[in-house]
Amino acid sequence: MNENDENQINHYLTFKLGDETFASHVNNILKILEMQKITEVPKSPEFMKGVINLRGNVLPIIDARLKFGIKPMPYTDKTCILVLSIIIEKESVEVGAIVDAVMDVIEFQRDNIKPSPSLGSKYKSDFIDGVMKIDDKFIMVLNMDSVFSTNEIIDLKDTANIPENKNGLQNNDIEN
Amino acid sequence: MNESDAQFALEMQELREKFAIEAIEKIADLETAILVLENNPNDKEKINSLFGAMHSLKGSGGMFGYNKISEFTHDLETIYDYVRKDRIKINTELLDISLEAIDHLKFLLRMGDTLDTQSETKHQSKTAKVKEWAGKKLADAQIEHPIAEPVHKSEEPNTNQLSTSTYFISFKPHENIFDNGTKALYLIDELFALGEAFAIPHFENIPALEKINPQLCYTWWEIFLATDESQGTIADVFIFVEDESKIYIHKIADDNLLEYDAFAHYLKQLREANELADLKDLKKIIDALPVKEIPAIPEIAATVKIEHDLTEDEIIITPTTEPTVSGNIQAEAGKMKLPATAAETTIASIRVSSEKIDILMNLVSEMVTIQARLWMYAEKKNDLELIAISENVQKLSKQLRDNAFSISLIPISSILTRFQRLVRDLSATLGKKVKFVIEGQGTELDKTIIERITDPLLHIIRNSLDHGIESPELRKQIGKPEEGTILFRAYYSGSNIHIEVKDDGAGIDKNRILKKAIQNKLINEDDKLSEAQILNLIFAPGFSTAVQVSDVSGRGVGMDVVNKKISEIRGEVVIRSELGKGTSITIILPLTLSIIDGMQVMIGKTCYIIPTSAVHKIYSIKHIQIQKAFDNVIVIDGRQIPYIYLREQFNDHQAIPEKQEVLVVKYENREVGLIIDKVIGEFQTVLKPLGQHYKNQEFVSGGTILGDGSVALVLDTNKIISRFSKENKSKEENI
Repeated sequence: MNENDENQINHYLTFKLGDETFASHVNNILKILEMQKITEVPKSPEFMKGVINLRGNVLPIIDARLKFGIKPMPYTDKTCILVLSIIIEKESVEVGAIVDAVMDVIEFQRDNIKPSPSLGSKYKSDFIDGVMKIDDKFIMVLNMDSVFSTNEIIDLKDTANIPENKNGLQNNDIEN
Repeated sequence: MNESDAQFALEMQELREKFAIEAIEKIADLETAILVLENNPNDKEKINSLFGAMHSLKGSGGMFGYNKISEFTHDLETIYDYVRKDRIKINTELLDISLEAIDHLKFLLRMGDTLDTQSETKHQSKTAKVKEWAGKKLADAQIEHPIAEPVHKSEEPNTNQLSTSTYFISFKPHENIFDNGTKALYLIDELFALGEAFAIPHFENIPALEKINPQLCYTWWEIFLATDESQGTIADVFIFVEDESKIYIHKIADDNLLEYDAFAHYLKQLREANELADLKDLKKIIDALPVKEIPAIPEIAATVKIEHDLTEDEIIITPTTEPTVSGNIQAEAGKMKLPATAAETTIASIRVSSEKIDILMNLVSEMVTIQARLWMYAEKKNDLELIAISENVQKLSKQLRDNAFSISLIPISSILTRFQRLVRDLSATLGKKVKFVIEGQGTELDKTIIERITDPLLHIIRNSLDHGIESPELRKQIGKPEEGTILFRAYYSGSNIHIEVKDDGAGIDKNRILKKAIQNKLINEDDKLSEAQILNLIFAPGFSTAVQVSDVSGRGVGMDVVNKKISEIRGEVVIRSELGKGTSITIILPLTLSIIDGMQVMIGKTCYIIPTSAVHKIYSIKHIQIQKAFDNVIVIDGRQIPYIYLREQFNDHQAIPEKQEVLVVKYENREVGLIIDKVIGEFQTVLKPLGQHYKNQEFVSGGTILGDGSVALVLDTNKIISRFSKENKSKEENI
């Protein structure tokens, strides 16, 4: 698939984390799995939940809630794993992201995605491709490549009305 | 062919790339053959294979636009043709020239046909050198024939070269033959160039005009050829198309049948009627002719007519036994020798891209995993029939796995040429006399491992040559034979492969290492080290004991890199050395990178795999012993063993069982206990990387899929110990 074809696909998958809805371009999403038993890897940051078996290969799993510094919640039957294909250092890597629920696949013109309102922190523009406005609601379009390639917790609270993370992780937990 | 020029250029490019790959192998073959000849100059087989490799390099080089290679090889080939005929003896001078020429061939292959001025000068001088040498030697050899005589004349020196024989050739090109840029008519022309020939083209396969695909070849030929050349030479004409065409060459008489009117008349009739040659009729005609000697023409059975629809992909050249011409011809081709053309070797082995092998390996790994799952399910259901089926599947998948793994194994001899070359060239530069002895060159290793040990081994051998082996004068003085020996030995040991490089040189001076290490602040002056620990210091980064930094080694970037590279593939390096007697460096490697024998253990509710090879002993202990233990040392069998309590390290807070188990593993020549809850059993694991996200958890070598489909982590005991003992130390210091 060349650059042009990719640009012509304007489908986005929306999913929930807490009360907020996010979107990812479908190109990043390989499949959606039900929640399953995850093998923990000792001495790893808390948002790195462990690994699962994906068709004979080992897939690392990241809890998107914890990754964004949102208060953890027990998993429900709506919780699922998005299997993502992202680019880390020019290499294509597969990773699973736990989200609260998958909502919908929507069509949206790329040109209509507005840049997110700039708010201080230097990371933001890296992690967010922009904002879609649908029925008076704003949906943040995440840049999956950069969100899931960093090894740290991302603080999105300034850009969206996500409940503040009170008993979140200390930074030194991540050093491992 | 009505393809556009661009398309053609593209295809040509692909072919050239294919040629380049083959040429690299051919050149490597040449190099190996020459090094063998150095030790055994009378190895006729090697001389022949050398000649063969040159011949095909020359032929295909010219075909794919590497004219310089083709020309250059031609001169070499001329020399070796005379070697083959015993007109020139093999000596060091010749081998030196040959090796130099081979280096030049590598250079030409890299540069292609368009050389810049500098390279062109180099090319000219190399060519001149070979030509000059050839000219001189050949004059010495008092040859009767001029050099320019075609060298392939005597492909088969034993057969009656001078008498003319008549051959029947059936050439049925594959319909896609044009795709490779082959022109079938050129091949026919080539046959005509070999002698007197008569061709009968067959057009019956050509479809009606509207259905013709101009890119396909529909025509095929029957050719009668009277020639002085051997059957091998005829087969050589088809060397580039034999894979995709049906070729049948059969000697029908030891005479030129085409000179006989009756025969010529018969052929003309055939051509006019566009009929297939019928061996039965042929025999009758030949019988009627006053031919000198008729070789065994096919025993005429009831159904003799050659069916030209050979089974798919079948190549038949010189049928010595029954040719399988669609199974119904009983042709005895007489006592013709099978010429050593490529046809034999192509059938014996095939070329597969390593990518395809990787895919196969992945599939097999997946299959092994699925099989384990099936077996577990069958056991749970307790269904006898299902268990029986699953056992059979298990057996099959095990065989499949073993076979697939053996495919990806290649003998270590594939990299030995480079080492031989290194020893030969470097010992000359250093003015040392060195014998390079190889043992176990058939030892097979996983191809990924071979790729990754070449550089470390080169370095080790270079070290041996430079620092190990003394100069001949010194060796004589101290009563050693003037010629030093470097022994290269590869062998299996359990689930490991050992590769040892051993020299009978000066050995390593431990005092000098100590002094140097103190000087470089690697250790303190009052540190007490065991002998092995001292030797292991040379693996420390930035360590080099060479008093004088030579251009060969001694820049201090050596052994630490070697050690790092080897541990990357889960291997280790062991040094033994005795001052004055020599040094031996052994690399110990796992058989494959992807499969390991593991021990399945439980810690809390989680299952882990620990490589069986790491574990020396297992003891059962009571938990209370750990609680009582002081300073992380536990007493087992009357010995004090420091331990690491994995439960604590992994932050597992499950209920602690009363009885636990200790795995005693070796770590830097000490014994360390790893305390786990329970050993479940042995488990053959297919190692899967955890990927980028877990790169900081280096004590986990990877994951593996268990029978129930869940993932278990494979632990690297060395890294666990080095990491957790450091952590404990720093904790204590903080207190």
